[in-house]
Amino acid sequence: MGQALALAVSAVLLAGFYASMAYGLGLIYGVLRVVNLAHGGMIMVSAYASWLLFTRLHIDPYLAIPIVMVVFFFIGMAIYRGLVRFLPRGAAGGVQSLLLLFGVWLVLRNVMYLLFGGDDQAVRTSYSTASVSIFGNSYSLNRVLVFAISLVVLVCLQQWLSRTYTGKAVRAVTQNPDSSTLVGIDVERIYSLTFGVGTALAGLAGVLASTLFAFNPSFGSGELLKSFVIIVLGGLGSVVGIALGALVLAFAEVGSIYVVPSYLTAAVGFVLLVVVLVVRPGGLFGQKVLR
Amino acid sequence: MSSTRTRTAGRRAGRGLPLWLSPKALGIFVVALVALYLAPLVLSLDGYLHNVVGLTFMFMAAGLAWNWLGGYVGQISFGHAAMFGTGGFVAARLAITFGLPFWLTWVVGGLVAGLYALIWGHPTLRLRGPYFSIATIGVGEATRLVATYWSDFTGGSSGLSLPIGNGPTKYELYWYGLYLLAAVVAISYWLRKSRIGLGLLAIKEDVEAAADVGVNATLYQDAVLFLSGFVVGICGGFYASYQAFIDPLDMFSFDRSISFVLIGVIGGIGTILGPAMGAIVFVVIQEFLLASYPQLYLGLYGTLLIIVILFEPLGLSGLLLRLGKRLGRKPPASTAAGGMGSASADPDGAPPVLTGVPGQDDSKGGTSA
Repeated sequence: MGQALALAVSAVLLAGFYASMAYGLGLIYGVLRVVNLAHGGMIMVSAYASWLLFTRLHIDPYLAIPIVMVVFFFIGMAIYRGLVRFLPRGAAGGVQSLLLLFGVWLVLRNVMYLLFGGDDQAVRTSYSTASVSIFGNSYSLNRVLVFAISLVVLVCLQQWLSRTYTGKAVRAVTQNPDSSTLVGIDVERIYSLTFGVGTALAGLAGVLASTLFAFNPSFGSGELLKSFVIIVLGGLGSVVGIALGALVLAFAEVGSIYVVPSYLTAAVGFVLLVVVLVVRPGGLFGQKVLR
Repeated sequence: MSSTRTRTAGRRAGRGLPLWLSPKALGIFVVALVALYLAPLVLSLDGYLHNVVGLTFMFMAAGLAWNWLGGYVGQISFGHAAMFGTGGFVAARLAITFGLPFWLTWVVGGLVAGLYALIWGHPTLRLRGPYFSIATIGVGEATRLVATYWSDFTGGSSGLSLPIGNGPTKYELYWYGLYLLAAVVAISYWLRKSRIGLGLLAIKEDVEAAADVGVNATLYQDAVLFLSGFVVGICGGFYASYQAFIDPLDMFSFDRSISFVLIGVIGGIGTILGPAMGAIVFVVIQEFLLASYPQLYLGLYGTLLIIVILFEPLGLSGLLLRLGKRLGRKPPASTAAGGMGSASADPDGAPPVLTGVPGQDDSKGGTSA
């Protein structure tokens, strides 16, 4: 029982990080219908950014979050204005944007490899090994902080989308771009803004990842897949859905320790992805799929 | 290259031949086959170059097989390394443990790979577009993990070495690669030109509408995926024979899956000549450029991908098409549109000229319907 409780808390903390990975991917997919395959690459680059700021300028990773997010916001806008904007929308554009952003990912990996080499890097702060006690079990302080930040972001996103004018415009464009144009929303601007915010969120996830894991230029493919599982599980247009999807994935992974050997834990997400896609083929996205 | 002409010519002159096969195409095919068969005997190529050409044949075949799914049906797979690796390791295992002749190990490896493709493909092919693509990333990664840890079968991270003297030498593999490529080109042509090709195009354009007019989308897609997995599995067996050593990290890697995507996309999705040209570009980059700058390969491929998607979604075959237009040989593709004219003017749609599927010219496609 005690062990199960410890694992459950562990899963909840893990879900916090998972949710922070998936917000950006979910937002961009929800609004633009573009699967941002460069998402994992952005997380990886941002982990390097956090590492650079910490090792060179001695900026604490948690204080680096706003800096990285602002920079990544503009990177995201640039990628949208410079590349994604030129692709057709709809089914054909879906595949093309997939391949295009995949190309961006490959370039990002290569650039990081050229700059910093292929070795694993990690951000080791003075409190990296500190721990916090929850229900009598101790957990790494970083994991708890990451969970807390993820919750804060959840609330902020929720409020932004439901309370502000821009957030409402984003939701309007999600529902119907054409009608949004009719009521005076600059759809292109919203797309560009969304891509920026989504990329900034990937930047956030990367900084958080840098406090938890070692990373190298190949880092990010697992994160991309898990983010995708989460947004498929969680559904669209709902930030809370993403958080719930992250919980499901985290519990499935942690629970799988009882069932499969530990080296296959990473495969659990992939299997879950395929199963979810098949059992709920885009259903949570409201997309029609042939049965 | 105006295939519409060959198509109509086939209707008129193709006595004794099936409707989809024009005498001209058959002629070109036979001449090319004979020329490539004799080329090494006549030209006495440098040994290394000779081997690389053989390997290029294999990549062409694999790229074409990927393209059946990616181009003809429009389901982009990022997981074809799963079948490549399966075919390679089944073939290697059969050769090591049972000492079977190499061609049999290739065929059995291909069959196992095809069946494996069916197992994960039957459920996932119901997904369209990005959903399918992402699912294939999951399939590929899961397969890689399992293969890496299943060391009894794959040798784990230390891999498998093939018995020496069991299979053909690298020099002989040139011709086996050629046979493989010839068969795959023939299948590609048949898949494109026959009734099945029209069915696949219908599925690509709109699955539900295709089902409404009586195209069994599930059966078609399953069959194409099986065939694609079968051929890519054979290519894996070929690659095992070529390298004489394989390990799961290479065979099942994500980079391996990417290579098939690159060959298809750079050459031109949905065409026959495209993946063949893409394979040449791929091997040239791999063997000659990157031999000196191995640290640049991902960036180079990524940049190529971005350029192709932004400027020429039909890749090299699209460039050829433009070149043909500039030289004044305007392809009369739209004139033969007929019943196909209703297909939407989709920039990612079937390319008109190099494959002989009529009626996708953006400006004129609809007018002849």
